[in-house]
Amino acid sequence: MDNFDSRLFDFMKPLNQGLEDLELYEFSYALKNLQPAEGWDSVQLDAPTQIEEQLSSREFYERIQTKKKVNDRVTLDDTILRLNRMLFTGLVSGRYSVDWVDEHFYFDIRAFLFFHRTRYFTPEVISHFGSAAYQQFKADQQKLERKQEIGFRDFRNANIAVDEAFIQTVVKLVEARGTPVLLTLAGPTAAGKTEIMARLFNTFAALGKKITTLEMDNFLIDRDLRGEQPIGKATSHFDLFKESLQELRQGNKVFIPRYDFINATSSHDLNHQLKDGCTSIEVEPADVIFIEGNFPFQIPEIANLIGIKVVYLTDDPIRLKRKWFRDIDLRKKYDPMFFVNRYFKTQFLRADDCYALQMACCDILVDTTGAALWVTPQIAGELK
Amino acid sequence: MTDTAFISDDTKFVKLLYQKLERLCPALGELEPYEFGYCMENWNPPQGWNSVQLENKAEIEKKINDFAFYKSIQINNKVNGNFVLDEKIAHLTRMLFAGLVSSDYELDWVDKHFYFDPRGFFFLTRTTYFTQRVIDRFGGNPYASFEKKQREFEKLNGVGYKAFMAANREVDECFIQCVQKLIKIKKTPILLGIAGQTAAGKTEIVERLTKAFKEAGQKVTSIEMDNFLTDRDYREAHGIDSEGKQALHFDLLTRALADITAGKKIRIPRYDFVSATSSHDIDGKLKSGSEMVEVEPADIIFMEGNFPFLLDEIKDLIGIKVVYLTDDPVRLKRKWKRDMDYRKKYSLNYFRNRYFKDQFIMAQIAYIPQLETCDLAVDTTEAAIWATPDTSAMLRRA
Repeated sequence: MDNFDSRLFDFMKPLNQGLEDLELYEFSYALKNLQPAEGWDSVQLDAPTQIEEQLSSREFYERIQTKKKVNDRVTLDDTILRLNRMLFTGLVSGRYSVDWVDEHFYFDIRAFLFFHRTRYFTPEVISHFGSAAYQQFKADQQKLERKQEIGFRDFRNANIAVDEAFIQTVVKLVEARGTPVLLTLAGPTAAGKTEIMARLFNTFAALGKKITTLEMDNFLIDRDLRGEQPIGKATSHFDLFKESLQELRQGNKVFIPRYDFINATSSHDLNHQLKDGCTSIEVEPADVIFIEGNFPFQIPEIANLIGIKVVYLTDDPIRLKRKWFRDIDLRKKYDPMFFVNRYFKTQFLRADDCYALQMACCDILVDTTGAALWVTPQIAGELK
Repeated sequence: MTDTAFISDDTKFVKLLYQKLERLCPALGELEPYEFGYCMENWNPPQGWNSVQLENKAEIEKKINDFAFYKSIQINNKVNGNFVLDEKIAHLTRMLFAGLVSSDYELDWVDKHFYFDPRGFFFLTRTTYFTQRVIDRFGGNPYASFEKKQREFEKLNGVGYKAFMAANREVDECFIQCVQKLIKIKKTPILLGIAGQTAAGKTEIVERLTKAFKEAGQKVTSIEMDNFLTDRDYREAHGIDSEGKQALHFDLLTRALADITAGKKIRIPRYDFVSATSSHDIDGKLKSGSEMVEVEPADIIFMEGNFPFLLDEIKDLIGIKVVYLTDDPVRLKRKWKRDMDYRKKYSLNYFRNRYFKDQFIMAQIAYIPQLETCDLAVDTTEAAIWATPDTSAMLRRA
């Protein structure tokens, strides 16, 4: 079995440079948790094509159980465990090539698991942007490859060039188009949305622009009425939202609903009427209006109203390391096993639910990991 | 001087605390202020920092040097099915935060008695291993000392084995040479006992010594002290601590040690950790169906276990007695990597509670007593080797 560990260790080093920092016995300690009781020989291997097929089906991710407990501790989901056992065994036996594994998976050291790579740049997305990036910089996030967790300072430093280009592009575009302008920025968890929004905000403030933000969450209807459905037409005060955007675009002041997170209720009923004793939120007219929150700007009636639609993207492996640091080490927010199960489960589903759609209709795409700025041919024309 | 203005404003409080804590714990310097703010979310008292009652310094010092304080720490408490940080530990950290910000506690005073662990984000008490008595026993000064390379760990949240080994290279090499010299003088077969705290680096140094002996053509074996444990049921029924003589098949142990140092092959009991039973009954007779462990004669016999020479009755049989120590903050960082990240062995709060609780207790019952009887002590954090005057004289002659 020692032999299995050391052979696997050698196969895996090219897949994650960070493994060079581990001693074999540390690798073995981590691997032990995943070792089948009947030994590695007992692992049945699926054909690579079969695995690829599973990886691209929603059903595979949907059946992942994030918080199942065994002996009072959250346990690694069986599907994830089985997949990883197959990959380990298949690497050692030579059934799966290192290249094939690398193409479809990345290995996270903290979790000590392979995760599937989410494909964000579909052919449809690439052609939406005219097939080439607008600006390409040196991919400095590669320097973070050996790290097991990533703090904000390192992350920001790796993104300096692309972030700066992005901010300049937005400023130029706003100048060219005039104000008021509505701007929205979507992106997966821990991609760096909050931080880049804050920088855009400060940039416009320094230019003397009047800025306001519209919290998408304020348009939610009561939780009891929403159930588990994602935010969208049926779960929000959609008409009010649309009207508010139209008014703000005209430079008018608006009153919007107020969502109370503690009671999970909206200030407005389903007929968009203010409930007794509730107050709405007053939003003053402004030059630049940021729409915050994970918001479905792929809906055409809305998309047309938003001047600048941005998707801010960071690859899954980097975001995972950001979350290890931010959400687990600093905030101590989740049980680590629940966290791992959930991260594995949701990246594909979220991409499928919203990012794929948003990327195919947004105006600007920032890919921090690729250090590339993508804009639509139309915007590229405007920027000239 | 108490400054209550700062304490009543949470944002200011966090900002000022950050400035002060960073000086105590350089790893925090890697954080952005807003990341520090995230950490504080778990600590801000619901009634505000004003509500934290500060104990006076003398009171705190008395408490943290009292066994009873550590014994009272609850490591297993659960709320809604999840382990929680012990109330006393939480209170201490809150008090130190508040006292630092209000300047009731000076940085130097806090630094003298506590260290701040960046990953756990809490204060722990410093354990003193080198008491005046221990230092006096070693003649007041280390036998050898090197550059303190573990200093670089101050900036890290966790320490992996490669970095640890690299930092200890000089002191470890010197130590291995010392042991080899002593063996040459004391002759083989010899029993070699190495005691050390959890994550001090015992296993690894034993492996390196073994390799060095084998390369010199010496035969090496080991005796697990745990194999001499009696049935757990028996010990529990009679209230016997696992550290004492009563917990062991003591006659069998002394005979085995005497025989193996005489160059004989020995057969010793076998303790099964899964069923918590010994191969031998309480009278030292082999139970039917049980098997013993055979140990072939060897030149160097490692005594494995946490307390190889704690027992007075056997300490004279052990030719070379070593305590291998690493300071609490560094060992904790090793355990974050090894036990938490890689092995995923414990829940966060159980781990924080247990580490806080155990270090003082183990120092008093095991490591300080062994420092008072050992021949050599290795302090990896201070990069120093200490030797008793006798041992020192032998080493200089060699």
